[in-house]
Amino acid sequence: MKHQSYSREHAQFLKKRKRNLVLVWGFRVGLLALLLGAWELVTAVGWADPFILSSPSRICKTIASLYRDGTLFYHIGVTLGETVLGFVIAVAIGCGVALALWWSDTLRRVLEPYIVVLNALPKIALGPLIIIWFGTGSRAIVFMTVLVGVIVAILHMLNAFIATDENKILLLRSMGATKPQILRKLVIPSSLASFISMLKVAVGMAWIGSIMGEYIVSKAGLGYLIVYGGQVFRLDLVMSATCVLCLLAAGMYFLVVLLEKLLVKNAKN
Amino acid sequence: MKQEMLRFTDVKLTYHTVHGETTAAEGLSFSVGEGEFVAVIGPSGCGKTTLLSLAAGLLKPSEGKVERHGSCGYMLQKDELFPWRTIEKNLFLPLEIKRQNTKENRERARELAVKYGLGEFLQSYPAQLSGGMRQRAALIRTLATDPDLLLLDEPFSALDYQTRLNVTEDVSHIIRSEGKTALLITHDISEALSLADRVLVLTKRPARVAHTHELDFGGKEPLKRREAADFSGWFELLWKELNA
Repeated sequence: MKHQSYSREHAQFLKKRKRNLVLVWGFRVGLLALLLGAWELVTAVGWADPFILSSPSRICKTIASLYRDGTLFYHIGVTLGETVLGFVIAVAIGCGVALALWWSDTLRRVLEPYIVVLNALPKIALGPLIIIWFGTGSRAIVFMTVLVGVIVAILHMLNAFIATDENKILLLRSMGATKPQILRKLVIPSSLASFISMLKVAVGMAWIGSIMGEYIVSKAGLGYLIVYGGQVFRLDLVMSATCVLCLLAAGMYFLVVLLEKLLVKNAKN
Repeated sequence: MKQEMLRFTDVKLTYHTVHGETTAAEGLSFSVGEGEFVAVIGPSGCGKTTLLSLAAGLLKPSEGKVERHGSCGYMLQKDELFPWRTIEKNLFLPLEIKRQNTKENRERARELAVKYGLGEFLQSYPAQLSGGMRQRAALIRTLATDPDLLLLDEPFSALDYQTRLNVTEDVSHIIRSEGKTALLITHDISEALSLADRVLVLTKRPARVAHTHELDFGGKEPLKRREAADFSGWFELLWKELNA
């Protein structure tokens, strides 16, 4: 649509929308500044003990010192590596298993109770076993990450595959389509939106898995810094690692959102 | 004697579920000749869709025989266009499935689309088209593989009234001018009357043919037929037979 063709009413509508957007962003940033400011203030004037509560300035200093002695990116790298690897493996296995379960009704009915139990089981209960099986290295943490994410990925994708429109399957069958054709032409493309929403859930699961894994067993990583900081009562370290974690998790989530924009651009239409 | 495109001989079909069995059709016999437009009407739940599934070969009869001469194309209630494909790619879908995705066949599908007013929408997505246009695209998709027999499963029932009259006119025109044989299933008496050369009235379940009527009034165009003097007479007759 051409810009000149807007009526005055429409221009006003757009202006109002824009003003509202500015307002929302203003409040978002303002709220963050207010919280950080209040935090800094109560610790600076001594209403709260900065040793217990830490403070924004102390967090900045801690992160800067981690950066200076070169360990900041080392710990980030370790955790990020474990998380991404676990995420990718969980998503791959999840999609593969879901496909197999969609393909064979009998297999699905056989495995259903196992999946339900595995889904209900708190994965952290397997911590001691994982240490014994995989040792105390990154392998154990990646395994924990996969374990936490994979069942959710399977269930999410299986639901999407099963929800494929029956009439569209009928249409393809009336054209004489084989099962692989139905899968390729219909089931997979129509599950794209669910795939993206599964990725969003799986990102969160991967961070839970990797940090939980690092709590149980680790020599490095952000989860390790948090546990270590807690043990030696360096709350600045705990808060700093948590803040970095927040940023990384948000970053990974936005990468998925970006992927969604790229993939769903046409399909959604 | 016209070539028979489809023949049902003494067909029985039983559905089995955990809760029991249902006989959907029994002693069902009829045939459809080449170039004929046959409409099937019946009380709701009498197994009309079962009949089409049998004709398409998606179901095997429990007893009796279903013989079909040549290929068939199935058109459903909703257009079932794939939203992630352009109209053109939707038209090519049956070609891909039947592994007939050659340049000539794609060109033929495209020509059909242009001939029947979809030319400018080939690169659009289904969501950008009106309901009537989408149903027209669904018909062209059905015609893309040049089937010998068209199976129409209440293809207008999801449309609003005005669109429905227009699309009925459209579809009738396209099917007649392509010289196709068609079997239409519907619960709408006036739709059957405005489209068909012959109407079959089914009984309640188990379905069998109760009455057959050759229609010859008011020409071939659906809207003209609806205006014809004996239209309401036919309507009343079929209404009585349906509720008998």
